Amino acid sequence: MDEWKPNPAVKPHKKRSWYLAWKYKLMNQRALRKLCQTGAVLFLLVTVIVNIKLILDTRRAAYEEEEESAQDYDDEMLNVEVPRHPVNNKKVLDVEVYSSRSKVYVAVDGTTVLEDEAREQGRGIHVIVLNQATGHVMAKRVFDTYSPHEDEAMVLFLNMVARGRILIFTIKDEGSFHLKETAKNVLKSLGSQVAPFLSWRDMWTFVGKKGGEVYGEKHAKSPALSTWGDPVLLKTEVHLTSVEDAECHWPDTELNRRRKRFCSKVEGYGSVCSCKDPTPIEFNPDPLKDNKVFDVPVAVIAGNRPNYLYRMLRSLLSAQGVNPQMITVFIDGYYEEPMDVVELFGLSGIQHTPISIKNARVSQHYKASLTATFNLFPDAKFAVVLEEDLDISVDFFSFLSQSIHLLEEDESLYCISAWNDQGYEHTAEDPSLLYRVETMPGLGWVLRKSLYKDELEPKWPTPEKLWDWDMWMRMPEQRKGRECIIPDISRSYHFGIVGLNMNGYFHEAYFKKHKFNTVPNVQLKNVESLRKDNYETEIHRLLGEAEVLDHSKNPCEDSFVPDTEGKVYVMFIRMEQEADFTTWTQLAKCLHIWDLDVRGNHKGLWRLFRKKNHFLVVGVPASPYSSKKPSSVTPIYMEPPAKEEGAAAEPAVAAAEQT
Amino acid sequence: MQKINRNVVLALLSLTSLVFLLFQLCYYKFYLSQKNGAAFSKVRGSQSGQDSTRWHVVRKFLGLISSHNIPVYLIDPLILGLVDKDIDQIRSSPDGPSPECKYFCAPRDFTTFALLDKTWKHEVGLFRTAEKMGFQWLKIINKDPRLDGMDDLSGMEIPLHYIFKLASHAIHLVVFYERSGNFLWHGPLRLKQHMDRKFVPFRKLHFGRYPGAYEKPDLLLVSIDDLKVQIPKNPSSFLEEMSHSRFLECRYREARAFFQLYPDDASLDAVEFRKKAKSLLHLAALTLNNLGVKFWLSSGTCLGWYRQCNIIPHSKDVDLGIFIRDYKAEIIPAFQKAGLPLKHKFGKVEDSLELSFLGDDVKLDIFFFYEEDDHIWNGGTQAKSGKKFKYLFPKFTLCWTEFVELKVHVPCETLQYVEANYGPEWKVPVKMWDWKSSPANVQDNGVWPVDEWDDVIQIY
Repeated sequence: MDEWKPNPAVKPHKKRSWYLAWKYKLMNQRALRKLCQTGAVLFLLVTVIVNIKLILDTRRAAYEEEEESAQDYDDEMLNVEVPRHPVNNKKVLDVEVYSSRSKVYVAVDGTTVLEDEAREQGRGIHVIVLNQATGHVMAKRVFDTYSPHEDEAMVLFLNMVARGRILIFTIKDEGSFHLKETAKNVLKSLGSQVAPFLSWRDMWTFVGKKGGEVYGEKHAKSPALSTWGDPVLLKTEVHLTSVEDAECHWPDTELNRRRKRFCSKVEGYGSVCSCKDPTPIEFNPDPLKDNKVFDVPVAVIAGNRPNYLYRMLRSLLSAQGVNPQMITVFIDGYYEEPMDVVELFGLSGIQHTPISIKNARVSQHYKASLTATFNLFPDAKFAVVLEEDLDISVDFFSFLSQSIHLLEEDESLYCISAWNDQGYEHTAEDPSLLYRVETMPGLGWVLRKSLYKDELEPKWPTPEKLWDWDMWMRMPEQRKGRECIIPDISRSYHFGIVGLNMNGYFHEAYFKKHKFNTVPNVQLKNVESLRKDNYETEIHRLLGEAEVLDHSKNPCEDSFVPDTEGKVYVMFIRMEQEADFTTWTQLAKCLHIWDLDVRGNHKGLWRLFRKKNHFLVVGVPASPYSSKKPSSVTPIYMEPPAKEEGAAAEPAVAAAEQT
Repeated sequence: MQKINRNVVLALLSLTSLVFLLFQLCYYKFYLSQKNGAAFSKVRGSQSGQDSTRWHVVRKFLGLISSHNIPVYLIDPLILGLVDKDIDQIRSSPDGPSPECKYFCAPRDFTTFALLDKTWKHEVGLFRTAEKMGFQWLKIINKDPRLDGMDDLSGMEIPLHYIFKLASHAIHLVVFYERSGNFLWHGPLRLKQHMDRKFVPFRKLHFGRYPGAYEKPDLLLVSIDDLKVQIPKNPSSFLEEMSHSRFLECRYREARAFFQLYPDDASLDAVEFRKKAKSLLHLAALTLNNLGVKFWLSSGTCLGWYRQCNIIPHSKDVDLGIFIRDYKAEIIPAFQKAGLPLKHKFGKVEDSLELSFLGDDVKLDIFFFYEEDDHIWNGGTQAKSGKKFKYLFPKFTLCWTEFVELKVHVPCETLQYVEANYGPEWKVPVKMWDWKSSPANVQDNGVWPVDEWDDVIQIY
C-alpha cells in the first residue's frame, strides 16, 4: 500500500501527512478533484469489467473441459448400476422354513428363496445352502428320497458342501421312504435330532451349520399311513460370520481369484472349492502336433444344468489340443450358475433369451448359437458343436485334426461326428477305425460353415414349428444324400440323465453302456479310404474277405458268431426296399443296440463288432452290396413283435438322444 | 466535514477496488499458468522435458506389452504422418540409430496403438504390471456388436478401448475385432456414468468418436527413434483409410421390431432369392473393389439394410450407387468378365447413366449419381418412350457397414436418403413398386432427343 501513489502529481508537504495535503488540494482545486472522482469511477468500471471477463473466462474454460470429456462420448444408455444387495452390516438372518404335503417354502430375511407348490412335482427333501457370511443362496437341490438311490445323491451332495455353510432342509410330500441309514446318519451328524426317526409322510424342517451349531428343527409326525403330518413352520435366526472366515486362503493368483469368486457364490462342486487341496481349474493338456483344428471355434450348447456343464468343460479342457480361446458356451436362458461355471474356467459365455418352448426352444437356441459362433469367428470354416452333457475324449481334437480335411474336400460329406450310435461296449472295438453313415448322430460334431450359412441357416425351422433341430437336420431335404464320418469307438460320452428327452430309464437302456475312447493319441487308420469312392472300394474289399455266417442259426444267439477274434463276418437280412428296416430293428433290439430309429447305415450296410470280430449286416435286396450274397443263402427275416408292444415303443422314437 | 467524508469514502473505494483488481489479475494469471502447466494443455512450442516424457512413456508402454507378448501396432495419425514423409529411409534402414527424437517426441497428448483382439488372451496380468510401472489405466467396454444382430443373445461385454496414462502423456490402445465381412472393426468410445470424464481429454482422441471399419493391414516392423514398433506397411494409405472409416451398425433392434410387425418371408423362393442376391452382391463388390470404384447400397438394397438388416426378398434386384466422378470405362468389361452380361445401358456419362447387369436370375442395377451444389441426383430412362426421370437426394457422405457378410458403403445420412427415395412411409413394405412413379423424389426430366436414342438406350 505504501508504494501506491494515487496521484503522482501531488507531492505531499514534508510536515504534513499526505492525507492532509490531498485534502487541501482537493478543497482548493476543483478541477483536480473532479478528475480524481472520475478516475475512481473509471477504476471501478474497469474492475467490474475485468471481473466479468474473469468470470466468463473461467466459466467457459470449465465448461469446455466438461464438454470435451463428455460430449460425443457419453453412453446413450445410462447404465445406472443399482447395487443388488444393499450393504448392511446386519449380522443376523431371519430364516423361515415351511414343510407340508403340497407346499414348501424358504424365506431368508423376508425374501423367498424357495417356493414350490406345484402338483406332482418337487417331492422329497429340498436342501438349500447359504453362504455363512453373506447369506446368499449358493445351491438349491431337491432329492426325491421317496425313490431309490436319491438318498445316495443327497449324501454325495452334502459331503461336497464346505464346512461352515448354512444348510436348510425341508420335506415336501414324502421324503423318508428310501431314506437309508447312511443318509440318516449324515443328517444326524449335521445335528438333527429327528432325522434318525423320520418316517412315512412326516413333515420336517431343519436349519444348521455344517460342522457347527443347529439353528432350529421342527417335525410333525404323520398320525396314520394314509395321512400326512401337519404342516410345520420353523422360524429361526442365523448369525453371520465375517467374510474372512467364510473364505479359503489360497495364494493370490489370477486362477485363485476366479476360484474364490466361484466358491463364494455356489456350492456343490466338491474339491474345486476345497481350502486345503483344491482341484485344478487349468489343465494344460499336451498340445497336438500339427493341429488342424486349433483355430476351429467350439460352441458348447448349454441349458441350466451347471453341474453337467462343469463336468463337461473339465473333460473338454483336458483334451489334447484344446484351444480355450476358441470355446464359447451358449446358455439358453439367463441362468447365473452356468455362467459362474463358465467364468470359473475363464471361458466366454453367452446367454440367450429363451424363444418358444420345448424342442423349438432348443432348436432356436441352436440356431442362435451357431450364427453367433460364425459371427464371432468370421475366419472359421468349421465349428465344433458340443452339448453340456457330454464327456469329451482325450483324443477328441486329435480325431478331428486327422479327419477334418475330408469335410473340407469331400462334397458328399455332411458332418464329422464323435458319436457312433451303435458303438456299445459289446459292439465297438477299434479306436482307429472310421465309418461313413447316412444318419447324423450329433453329440459332438463338426459343421461346415458353408453348409450352415448357405443351406441350413436361411431355412432353419421357425420358432412356431415345434421341431427337434437334429431330426430336422436328418430329413432328406436337408441331408441331400450326404453322409457323416464317425469313429467306431465314440469320442464323446453322453452322461446326462435329466434332460428334455431324457430320463434315468432311457439313459440306462441306451447310453450307459456306450463305449468311450480313453486312449490318447490314437492314429486313425487309412483316413483316405473314407472318401466317397474309396469307401466303396474298401467295402467291396471287406465283403470279399468276409466269411458268411451260418444263416440257419438265430442271429440273436451268442453262438451265431464263432468264438474267434479279428475276423470279418457278414450276414444278410431281408430288406425289401430302402426304407424297410423291419428285420434290422428286430436285430438291433436283440443285440441291445440303438433300435428306436435306424442309425449307422450306409447303403443298406451296418458295420459293428461282435466278440471282437468285425460284423457286417447287409440288407437284401435293397442294398447294392446284395450281389455279394451267395445264392445259397436266404436272407434272415425277423418278425416284428405284436402290435401293442410296437405302439408302446412309438413315443420313445421321438426321444432322440439330443437333450 | 461532509465533503471530507465523501472524498474519504471515494478514495477508500478506489483503493479497495484497485487492490481487488490487482488481486484478480494475479489470480487470473495464476489460473492460466496452472492450466498451461497441467497435464494436458494445448502444448505451444516444445519444451524438451515434455518431448522426452512422451518418448519415455511410449518406450515404457512398448516394454509393457512386449513383456506380455501382445502384438500392437502404431496407428497414431500424427506420428504416421511424420513417418510417412521419411518412409523410404525408414524402410531401408530398419535398425539404424536415429540422431534425434523426431517422431515420438512430437508434441501431442496421446499416442495411439491398435491391438487385434484375437491375438491376445485378455490376461489380467498386463494391468497389474502396468500399475507397477506407474501407469493409470482405463478400460472402456461395451456390447459385442457381433452378437447384436442376433435374437436376444447377450454375451459378456468386450473391451473396445484402453487408455494408459503416465505423467503427462497417455497411450490410447484401440481394440480391433474381426467382423464377418472380412474386415476389422473398432468400437466407439462411450463413457459410462461412473467413469472419470477428466481422465484424459477424450475429445482429442483420434479414434472413438465413431466406430470404424478397416481392412486388415499389412504390418512392417521398423525402428524409429530407437524404438522397435510395428506400423502399417503403407502409412499414407492407412491415413487415407482412416479419414473415412466411419462405420454404421445395422439397426438390429428396429429390424427385429419390423419383423414382429411383418414376419419374414421364409418361403423357399425367398430363401433362394436371398442366396442369389447375396452372391451377386458379393461378386459385384469384388469386381468394383478390384477396379477401385467406390460404390454404395442404393434404392431397395439400401432400404433392406436400413429397415430389416437383410435383403428384401420381393425386391427382385440388387441396386448400387456410384458417383459419376468415379466412373471408369472398365466397369462394363469387368462385369462381363465376372460372368455378368450387360442387360441394358441408359444415358451417357454426362447425363443419367444407368447400367444393368444380369446375374443368376437376379438383376444388378448400377445408378450413377451426379453432384450439384445442394443436392445429388441420378437419372432414369424409359426405354420405349425415351422419357427421362430424375431422382433427387439431399447431399450425403459415405459410411461403412456390414451387410450379408460384406463390408460395404451406405449413405451415412441413411434416413434422409431412404426417405427421399421412399417417402415417410418407407417402414411399410410395398410389393407393387413402379420406378417411374412410386419414388417420392422422382421428377420428369424431359425426353432424350431421338437421334441420341441409339446411344442412350441400349438393350441387350
